[in-house]
Amino acid sequence: MDLEQLANQTKQWISEQPVEQIYIAVAVLFITFAFFLILSFLRTSKSNTIVLAGLSGSGKTILFYQLRDGSPHQGTVTSMEPNDDTFVLHSDLSEEKQKKRAVPVHLIDVPGHPRLKPKLDDYLPQAAGLVFTVDAQDFLYNYQAAAEYLYDILTKAIVAKKKIPVLILCNKTDKVTAHSKEFIKKQLEKEIDKLRASRNAISTADVTNEVVLGTPGTPFSFSQCQNKVTEAEASGLTGNISQVEQFIKENIRR
Amino acid sequence: MYRVRSELAAFINKQDRLVPFSSYFLVRSFLRFFVVFFFLKFLDPIYEQGKSNEAEMLEQLLIFTRGGLVLWSSCRALGNALKGSPIDALIRSCLLEERSADSSFSHESYTLKWAFHNELGLVFVAVYQRILHLLYVDDLLTAVRREFSEIYDPKRISYDDFDEMFRQLQKEAEARAEEMKKLKQSGRALPVQAKKGGAGQRALTGVQGNGAKKGTGGGAAKDDSDGDMGSGRLLSNGVDNGTKGINKSRVASMGKENGAPDTGAFDVNKLKMRSKTGKKGDGEKKSAPTKGEPKKAVKKNRVWDDKPVEESKLDFTYEKGDERMEREVVVVRGESMMDKEEVISSESEGEEEDELEGAKPEAKKKGWFSSMFKSIAGNSSLEKANLEPALKALKDRLMTKNVAEEIAEKLCESVATSLEGKKLGSFTRVSSTVQTAMEEALLRILTPKRSIDILRDVHAAKEQGRPYVVVFVGVNGVGKSTNLAKVAYWLLQHDVSVMLAACDTFRSGAVEQLRTHARRLQIPIFEKGYEKDPAIVAKEAIQEAARNKSDVVLVDTAGRMQDNEPLMRALSKLINLNNPDLVLFVGEALVGNDAVDQLSKFNQKLADLSTVATARLIDGILLTKFDTIDDKVGAALSMVYISGAPVMFVGCGQSYTDLKKLNVKSIVKTLLK
Repeated sequence: MDLEQLANQTKQWISEQPVEQIYIAVAVLFITFAFFLILSFLRTSKSNTIVLAGLSGSGKTILFYQLRDGSPHQGTVTSMEPNDDTFVLHSDLSEEKQKKRAVPVHLIDVPGHPRLKPKLDDYLPQAAGLVFTVDAQDFLYNYQAAAEYLYDILTKAIVAKKKIPVLILCNKTDKVTAHSKEFIKKQLEKEIDKLRASRNAISTADVTNEVVLGTPGTPFSFSQCQNKVTEAEASGLTGNISQVEQFIKENIRR
Repeated sequence: MYRVRSELAAFINKQDRLVPFSSYFLVRSFLRFFVVFFFLKFLDPIYEQGKSNEAEMLEQLLIFTRGGLVLWSSCRALGNALKGSPIDALIRSCLLEERSADSSFSHESYTLKWAFHNELGLVFVAVYQRILHLLYVDDLLTAVRREFSEIYDPKRISYDDFDEMFRQLQKEAEARAEEMKKLKQSGRALPVQAKKGGAGQRALTGVQGNGAKKGTGGGAAKDDSDGDMGSGRLLSNGVDNGTKGINKSRVASMGKENGAPDTGAFDVNKLKMRSKTGKKGDGEKKSAPTKGEPKKAVKKNRVWDDKPVEESKLDFTYEKGDERMEREVVVVRGESMMDKEEVISSESEGEEEDELEGAKPEAKKKGWFSSMFKSIAGNSSLEKANLEPALKALKDRLMTKNVAEEIAEKLCESVATSLEGKKLGSFTRVSSTVQTAMEEALLRILTPKRSIDILRDVHAAKEQGRPYVVVFVGVNGVGKSTNLAKVAYWLLQHDVSVMLAACDTFRSGAVEQLRTHARRLQIPIFEKGYEKDPAIVAKEAIQEAARNKSDVVLVDTAGRMQDNEPLMRALSKLINLNNPDLVLFVGEALVGNDAVDQLSKFNQKLADLSTVATARLIDGILLTKFDTIDDKVGAALSMVYISGAPVMFVGCGQSYTDLKKLNVKSIVKTLLK
């Protein structure tokens, strides 16, 4: 009953207003609505977010600060929370002519501790690229865990759907005992092949592996992935990060 | 001048026999003078250094952000001058495990203490040698936190100017600690006049400190209660003052503790003594028959009480299998539930919330209104008092879901430490902030920290050419044998060859039970009948598996209570001898507070009785009887929290297919509903 009365009252009130005002009001509403629609379309096609992921201790936080400030400062400890910042790459700041054209990068460093893995899922939807850091020095101790993490990432639905490019970054190459990126790539491919065989159609607790990687019959190789997977070398402590920066710039200018 | 000298000479000359004596005396005084002089000159710097050594007893104080960047370190050697990186160990095994409410953490030779500043997202950690007991660390941490939060700026990275401030703070904290120590010591030594002022005043003389300590901190002085009792008696007899009454009651209470003849305490103490002597006699008598003798070569019957041993044992171990049963083979009953996806139902949530809200409208309205105002205003920071009611409500809710009491307590404290001092966002209530924090914490705890993909490990062991050994341990009656069969069924479905090992040589029918399962699943079983040493049986089973190329060996053990010393010793012997790949603790979901005790005692016994340096502890948990609890899923949380081991399987029924993986999100949702 109340609703009917309200409806009648509003109808009366509307009929009392001059006609032009109503038309103008409706037109303004329509224009603003259309404006926001167009803006949202424009925004989604471009995203400048890069996600840094990898096992605990592989050097993500140091890399984050190298990219941002150009120095690792006083060192880092195991991260408990993600580092999230938007900035212009430090190397871009130093060159004068590039300063004007430099696009700010939104970089997110997700902790690698296994208990904090679910946090990665929060940031992947907005990612334009993913840098997977691997400790090239201690590689043989934890390559199985690294391969498992990489496999989990590559089989996430979002990564496969949006074809997020992945860069496998072999960090700590300034150390003498660091392995080469080709060796690491081969080892990772072998491990992922084994994982593929043992996981098959099993779904783990939280991550649903809906995607089957590569072609089932042949041994796995990164070229079989739908998204682009490349390798690079870097050294977070000494600042030798040019390949990373190149990857970032390529994927943001899309 | 001449007069003095002549008089002195006369004086000396007068006492003939004193001349050598006086000269000796003079020489001695000169020597003393020289000694003091040298002490002051040379040893003083050493004394100074000794003092500064005190300052370095604190190895390092580190300030870092929650994101991992080190902002300031008290020792300049780029942070890693400490052995074994204790800070990383602290983060991994304490702070991320929701034990941040603990008072300290020890790792190898260091002890670590920490403080949070939740608003700015900073962590302050102090590291010192474990053998020292530094009293001023907590004090220092709070002072450092206060000072640093004033100069902190999110844009700044280097804080070199904090060095000066830190040294000053450290000196102050040490001075305070020295004062406290001196007061304690002088309070023990001087049992004299009572203080004049109120109990709360900072003492100027040692005596007043003594009085203040007695008035306020009584419990700490328990170990020097004898001395204090004496001084207390003197005090009460001494000067009349306001606190005399308090002192008298202190004396009375201490008298009670020390067994002096007071009216109330008299009977209790006598009773204690009587029961003690009684206990001693009984204990000796009882210990002989109940505990099995592990020293004897032959394993005796396990006797549970004082009944006489039966002569004829009932042992129906057959030499050959019963032929009739062989034909019954299990038909493939479909997929094990391990391989099916879990469907989370979100419909029932809405109904529950409506019921709750209808139940308590009155009290909720009032709280809602005031909290609404506060939340709109937005800028109130969370204090412990605000968090208390919300946390208490959460704790009660957790306990109704069968979470062990002390686990719920520890969790709530940990969430409180991580929320204290944080600013409330606008339009958020305290209860919702606490709820989100608790949800995150629960998610973190239940997420496994190592891979629970058994199949991958099985394949890895296969490549190395050895069988993958799984040992099922647990208390009596939790479902070890049943779930062992379920795991075997699941493994068979993934083309892994399994062998069973019947190391439960105590319970009647255990070997037959496993034999039946083996027959139905068509897998080999290794058995040696009853009354054999389980460790030897397991060893031989593994050798047999290596011979016939089985991929996995599932070892069934007898159920045992965690307090039973000889049985736990037998279990650790089995594990030490065979070094299995996976020690699976089977626990039922119906267990309540006992889960904490079971798991901690099992782990402790395995660690104590281990023969190698790195003891094999419980690697995983198998949660059984999950279908019998509707939403009281708290046992999973208690077990995971106390042991740190992930839940690898969940048994949810009594047939072969009723085995599934733990769905962390749905458990968290159920716990906080």
